Amino acid sequence: MLKPGDTAPPFDLPCAIDGQMRRLTSGQIASELLVLFFYPRDFSFICPTEVVGLNRMLADFKAEQTSIVAVSIDDAETHRRWAHELGGIGFPLVADAGGTLTRAFGVFDETEGAALRATFILDRKRTIRYCVASPVNIGRSITETLRIVRALRSGRLCPADWRPGDPSQAPGPVSK
Amino acid sequence: MALSDPAEKKRLLERLSSIREVVFGTQDGVLTTAGVLAGLSGAVSNHRQVVLAALASTAAGALSMGAGAYLGARAEAEVLGSELARTRREAAAQPYLLQEELLGQLEKEGLTREASYRIVKLLSKAPQAFLATAEVKLYGLSPESLGNAVTDGVTMGIAFLVGALVPLLPYILMPAALGRGYAGLGAAMATTALALFAVGYFQGWLAGQGARWLSGVRFLSIAMAAAVAGYLIGLAIAPLGGIAAIAP
Repeated sequence: MLKPGDTAPPFDLPCAIDGQMRRLTSGQIASELLVLFFYPRDFSFICPTEVVGLNRMLADFKAEQTSIVAVSIDDAETHRRWAHELGGIGFPLVADAGGTLTRAFGVFDETEGAALRATFILDRKRTIRYCVASPVNIGRSITETLRIVRALRSGRLCPADWRPGDPSQAPGPVSK
Repeated sequence: MALSDPAEKKRLLERLSSIREVVFGTQDGVLTTAGVLAGLSGAVSNHRQVVLAALASTAAGALSMGAGAYLGARAEAEVLGSELARTRREAAAQPYLLQEELLGQLEKEGLTREASYRIVKLLSKAPQAFLATAEVKLYGLSPESLGNAVTDGVTMGIAFLVGALVPLLPYILMPAALGRGYAGLGAAMATTALALFAVGYFQGWLAGQGARWLSGVRFLSIAMAAAVAGYLIGLAIAPLGGIAAIAP
């Protein structure tokens, strides 16, 4: 699994967004931060709680100049139907059908034949600033992801359980 | 063609589930008693003693088999019942896990992931139906499959008794004039062979097998092998005098 400080592998893959199937390259994403959100499979019972949770807080991430891209090994058509099933998802669901990108990030579970629940936060240079992986049976906290995004954007040294407005220390700006 | 009534079909399957006890008990009763008769006939020449020993063996066998079936079924019901209860607690605490497992199982059985998801989602709206389906699909368990220990025990005991009477009755009833020892044993072996063939044939018929006689021959072969072995062992141990304890 890649770690903070590593350069994120670029990608050029099909995706589903706004009910359409398109192609998405990492170069097209110009936001300050990018949350790359790997999840095991479409049409499952834990993944939607995460994907829907992210979608619900999409405006908060956008307010932090942060894009979200979700990745699984399902194909783009399945992503499109899955997003429709969930009532529409406002960020791209990338189809890493061969698992190439997932393996490049080191989060492909060969036993399950799918991605781990792994989150990478990349800066504008697409260097990994934060990463976490959790077991398949445990969904991730979206509010925690947003907290990390805000902490990274603060450019400061943030203590445990830091929240915006809490005391923090300089320096350490996020590379832009 | 009209489909059979599912409730009636279920009752029929539940009755047929006793076939294990019926076949096992009958086969064991026939085999054990035939073996005892053959073995004692080789070791003891007194007809009355052989009959008494065989009756004692039959009574002990029927009680033992009945008790064994009862205890076995009860132990199975307790262990599997506990497992079912644990599964239900887990399902209540972490429903997503059971949903994911059932989804994966349906996918393995040939449904698409999307179809599996929709089925599990629908089932999840009725917790009892979801749990019952998950238990059967994931673990092959259902409360109905646990059986009834008392019924199993009684069925097994009666089946053993009935099976034991098959070789025993002709042996007991053989007229003295015909020479009770070998003639009685011959009659017992003949009815044993017929009964075992019949049990095998009956089982084949229930299972819908084409070659039912093969099933009958299989039972017959095993019985004959056991009887011959019992007789030979009886002959072998007779000189040791161990059987003398039942002699007058």
